[in-house]
Amino acid sequence: MPCRVLRAMIRFENVTKVYDQKARPALDSVTLEIDRGEFAFLVGASGSGKSTFLRLVLKEDRATSGAVYVAGQNVARISSWRVPRLRRGIGVVFQDFRLLPQKNVFANVAFAMQVIGKSRSVIRDTVPEVLKTVGLEGKEHRMPHELSGGEQQRVAIARAVVNRPGILLADEPTGNLDPTTSMGIMGILDKINQNGTTVVMATHDDDIVNEMRKRVVELKNGVVIRDEAKALYTSMIPVVGQSRRLKDASGREEPDAGLPGDGREGGAQR
Amino acid sequence: MRLAFILSEIGSGLRRNLSMVVSVILVTFVSLTFVGAAGMLQMQINQMKGYWYDKVQVAIFLCSEGSTAAGCAGGPVTPEQQESLNGLLESPAVAQYINDFQYESKEEAYKHFKDQFSNSPIVDSVTPDQLPASFRINLKDPEKYQIISETFSSQPGVETVIDQRQLLERLFSVMNGASLVAVSIAGVMIVCAILLIATTIRLSAFSRRRETGIMRLVGASKTVIQLPFILEGVIAAVIGAALASGTLWAVAHFFLGEYMSRQYPDTAFISSGQTLILAPALLILGGSLAGISSLLTLRRYLRV
Repeated sequence: MPCRVLRAMIRFENVTKVYDQKARPALDSVTLEIDRGEFAFLVGASGSGKSTFLRLVLKEDRATSGAVYVAGQNVARISSWRVPRLRRGIGVVFQDFRLLPQKNVFANVAFAMQVIGKSRSVIRDTVPEVLKTVGLEGKEHRMPHELSGGEQQRVAIARAVVNRPGILLADEPTGNLDPTTSMGIMGILDKINQNGTTVVMATHDDDIVNEMRKRVVELKNGVVIRDEAKALYTSMIPVVGQSRRLKDASGREEPDAGLPGDGREGGAQR
Repeated sequence: MRLAFILSEIGSGLRRNLSMVVSVILVTFVSLTFVGAAGMLQMQINQMKGYWYDKVQVAIFLCSEGSTAAGCAGGPVTPEQQESLNGLLESPAVAQYINDFQYESKEEAYKHFKDQFSNSPIVDSVTPDQLPASFRINLKDPEKYQIISETFSSQPGVETVIDQRQLLERLFSVMNGASLVAVSIAGVMIVCAILLIATTIRLSAFSRRRETGIMRLVGASKTVIQLPFILEGVIAAVIGAALASGTLWAVAHFFLGEYMSRQYPDTAFISSGQTLILAPALLILGGSLAGISSLLTLRRYLRV
């Protein structure tokens, strides 16, 4: 099925990731496909494997077994000196923004272009354009500490997309922001997605997921337990066995899960 | 563009880590100065060997008034004894080992002594009588000293046979010892320098982990990420090496060239120009030590 491989921007085939031989795998035989231009939420409790998923896409870690394809390429086959090229095709946004505190807004975004050797004139043309896309025009010379959290996250998004990656990975980008600001950030991510970038966003934020009505992939203990298009944070389909089991799990606190499903409880009551 | 970027990264790294960079410079400076000092001592030994080995001779000292050696039981050397020694030196059995020889009388010995110690008060207390007459022999092969010694020590009228080369050898062994000490100090200091460079690079990588993390995420190549750190160490070490080279040159120029050569005008000291041969070696040594140690450090502490 080569055509399916090409259509898929990110494709996991029976991917298992084990960090510690004694503990349960962080990802357990996950098979998943995210198409070019798609917008997908990864939801699930802390420790469910969302971050591991993103790290495997970036080749920050190697899958213990199974294959990860990014843009049709098996990342396990990418030699270490070509990993930077893989990462140039992927933008990443974090909960804690990760801006450089001693550089202003312009320099923070330009940094992503400088390190891959873009010329000064290209940087001068591109950065203001991208800053406009994220709604930060006129704030080029502000320092990060002079910006609100939402604005800082916009700078981080601008930095992630300034090299026009095909994929944008967002690891709880709204985790530190209030609901209104979060909605603004989601607007930007949606706009980036509509320009053709595949967006994968790991989140706990049920409001946002419910508002956006995009594809939702739910992970639990490293297993995909739900994959629905235009879905809500919690499943609306009364698949009796599965959803029952979910509620039971959050109430019972399984010893191997370690953490109770924090975001889940809010979603379940809704 | 990328070059300008790397250079500005190096600049900011050096500024942020200034005190550590200064300590790297000083440690490489001191360690390479010791390496260079050992090199200079070896050069000096070679220089002196070349200079002296042509001139040094075997000296056969003849008995004089106060001689107490066994061969001098019959008092000072007689003209007949001296004549027979002269004949022995000219005999084919001995002559085949000898380039030439000459007789140095008590008066000539006194004159040479006065020249050699012209600025020492000892000259005033020495009279020609106290200095022995001698035959000065220039050997074809300095290693054949033993033959001359065996032939002449037991001759009547001979006080002692001295190989002046052995006196020099003693000096050279002292100098060799000194250069060995310098090399071992240099070795310890180089270990210090390597560890300090490794620590500095580690600190530098740690203080810039935000930047390197972002660089990694946006797909900067390994070279762009690592090169500023490596060059930081290399630049500091090369500055240290340059200081060491300058110090060695100054020692050769001012201490050996101006002071010592005035004190010992008949000794050939190495020139300050010769020490410049050491400079490239020190620069390469310093630079590569820093490069290798920072590369190894980065492998462990900077994920790319």
